[in-house]
Amino acid sequence: MSMKENNWIDRNTFHHSDFWDLIKLVEEKEKKGLKISLCIPTLNEEKTIGKEVLILRSELMERYPLVDEFAVIDSGSEDKTLEVASNYGADVYLASDILPEVGNKRGKGENLWKAIHQLKGDIICYVDADISNIHPRFVYGLVAPLIHREEISYVKAFYDRPLNYSSGLRPSGGGRVTEILIRPLFSLFYPELSQIIQPLSGEYAARREVLEKIPFPIGYGVETSHLLDLYQLYGLETFAQTDLDRRVHRNQTTNALGKMSFGILQTFFNRLHTQGKLDRMPDLETFYRRFEVEDGNYRQLIQEVVEEERPPMTEIEGYRNRPDIS
Amino acid sequence: MPVEQIDTEALLNDLLRDFPSRTEKIREKKDSFLTDAVLLGEIPSPTFGEQERVRTVVDRFRENGLSNPGVDEFGNASAQLPGTEGQSSILIMAHADCVFSPEVRHEIQVGSDSMTGPGIADNALGLAAMISLPRLLKELGIELRDNLILVANCKSLGRANLEGAHGFLETMSQPVRAGICVEGSTLGRLSYSGLGTLRGEITLQVPSDYDWKRFGASGAISHLTGLINQIREIPIPKEPKTQLVFGGLKCGSSYNTSPRQGSLRFEITSEEDGIIGQMENQLNEICEQFSAETGTLVNMEVVAKRQNCGIPYTHPLVKTTRSIMQKAGITPQVDPSTGDLNALILGGLPAVTLGLTTVENLREINETIQLDPLYSGMCQLVTLIQAIDQGICEA
Repeated sequence: MSMKENNWIDRNTFHHSDFWDLIKLVEEKEKKGLKISLCIPTLNEEKTIGKEVLILRSELMERYPLVDEFAVIDSGSEDKTLEVASNYGADVYLASDILPEVGNKRGKGENLWKAIHQLKGDIICYVDADISNIHPRFVYGLVAPLIHREEISYVKAFYDRPLNYSSGLRPSGGGRVTEILIRPLFSLFYPELSQIIQPLSGEYAARREVLEKIPFPIGYGVETSHLLDLYQLYGLETFAQTDLDRRVHRNQTTNALGKMSFGILQTFFNRLHTQGKLDRMPDLETFYRRFEVEDGNYRQLIQEVVEEERPPMTEIEGYRNRPDIS
Repeated sequence: MPVEQIDTEALLNDLLRDFPSRTEKIREKKDSFLTDAVLLGEIPSPTFGEQERVRTVVDRFRENGLSNPGVDEFGNASAQLPGTEGQSSILIMAHADCVFSPEVRHEIQVGSDSMTGPGIADNALGLAAMISLPRLLKELGIELRDNLILVANCKSLGRANLEGAHGFLETMSQPVRAGICVEGSTLGRLSYSGLGTLRGEITLQVPSDYDWKRFGASGAISHLTGLINQIREIPIPKEPKTQLVFGGLKCGSSYNTSPRQGSLRFEITSEEDGIIGQMENQLNEICEQFSAETGTLVNMEVVAKRQNCGIPYTHPLVKTTRSIMQKAGITPQVDPSTGDLNALILGGLPAVTLGLTTVENLREINETIQLDPLYSGMCQLVTLIQAIDQGICEA
């Protein structure tokens, strides 16, 4: 079964090439008086951080002044991450030095949260440090919808992860955790959010005024909690998503993904509690929602998956009447 | 001593006086051209498949505000930085193709003092340096009297036989004072002559009606081995310097099946065109005789041929380049070119090829450029352009 649930996905889904004209984008940003901060959270990323800082700074601060502030916020790397990042001109901070009075917790979410205090921008764009094919589109593709459309306050990245070229159709989705854990959970509890193609992507941009209002899990749950909390506060219309084409990054082991899923589940069930979804459990959805892309157009596939159940055999009269069972 | 010579020396000394401070300034402004080297290097650009990289170069030309950015009928990207007088022009060329196929993962790693990845030296860095020249000249406060013509030429390597460079030069209508070919590899490289070259491919096929019972019957691998042994018997003179290199051999795909066809790639280089001609005839004769004696089909195809050419070691362009290198503490390594320089010199232009930095693992997947020497490599390029512009390099 395939149908379009509503047109949010058409209105709020972009492709980075929609924003190729950086001169125009910078003009619009200046006209609106916006300041943009870019934050890369790091922990032992010496192999990729140099390239990210070099390219993003050179293209988006020097050539086109889209980004006003560029910070690397580190969790205490033991390799040369900080040296390489500052060699290429990033402002480098240790998360433990920011707001020392609240203490230090080690995790990516801590760095993202402390960035809100450390950075000055009206818009903060977060980019993971492990992208080996970094390109300016990873930033301008995310901040552009915020510059152009005031009603949008949070923009997620999604990527091309081709799995099947032969039929012209390919599933468009996230990694294993997204497809096996998050999308089924969203389909059950937050069907509207299942339109977000890659809910776990580590690249997103948001307005300060929404970031400062939500809690930040320190570990794996930070991306999930942002979606659930902002959805609760502002609804789906606050979100947008941008196709950034291909992202090349490290592949994780199944064990690491298990740990990540465990962290995400904690965050998820906390939200179910606080939003009253566990106490007043509604009928569970039976529609599973996923995506497919053809010729650059994304469409949601909705499939009914009803897990019918049979009672214990001892409740069946015919079984009980068997001569050998009594 | 003639008055003109004194002026020339004084002018050159003036230029060289600022060399250390300019090198430092270039180091400060490194981000833009290092970024271009990475972004261009990550676009696959095999010979005959350079379109995407060339398109990116044209975008950069446009973004940098150059005149007439565009792609010509041969697929080369070019643009101009107009000079204050514009009576003449200086041509800067960097080839846009690289030796790696698109299947190779084109990923450049950036370290504190080096960059690594396929094709970063040959020639993503050369391209990036060429693109960066207008910005660097502006940063350094240099205004040229001549126009600066920037070209990212395609179809340079392998079978392409310098097609892009030849095409650009044939259709170029402006008077050009001199040309510089820019290569990432290697700092100190000084080419002012083009070496006579013949590149060829010999294909051997065992025909379908081949008599497998005849004496000496065998598959393509054994035949190719025999053919190579015969070619190795060709006497190669030490003077004029001549070389025969076997660069590629393709034959067979399994462990236990005799292949029926195979091919051998080779290159002859010589300081004397006549020797190349003689060796080509000998190779043709060997192929014919081998074919007749073994009952195989042997064909030799010449895929690229270049004449010897050059400007003298004492030409003012070469002398000036050597002086600049000396000032920069760079030891010149005289190295005849088999690349784009041939097209420029055969087109009647005084020209040299320069390298920009030290390189390891050239043409390997882990090709690595060192960043520290790069800034004086860039400074030598800027200074040479300025010297040409001031008429110091005129014969």
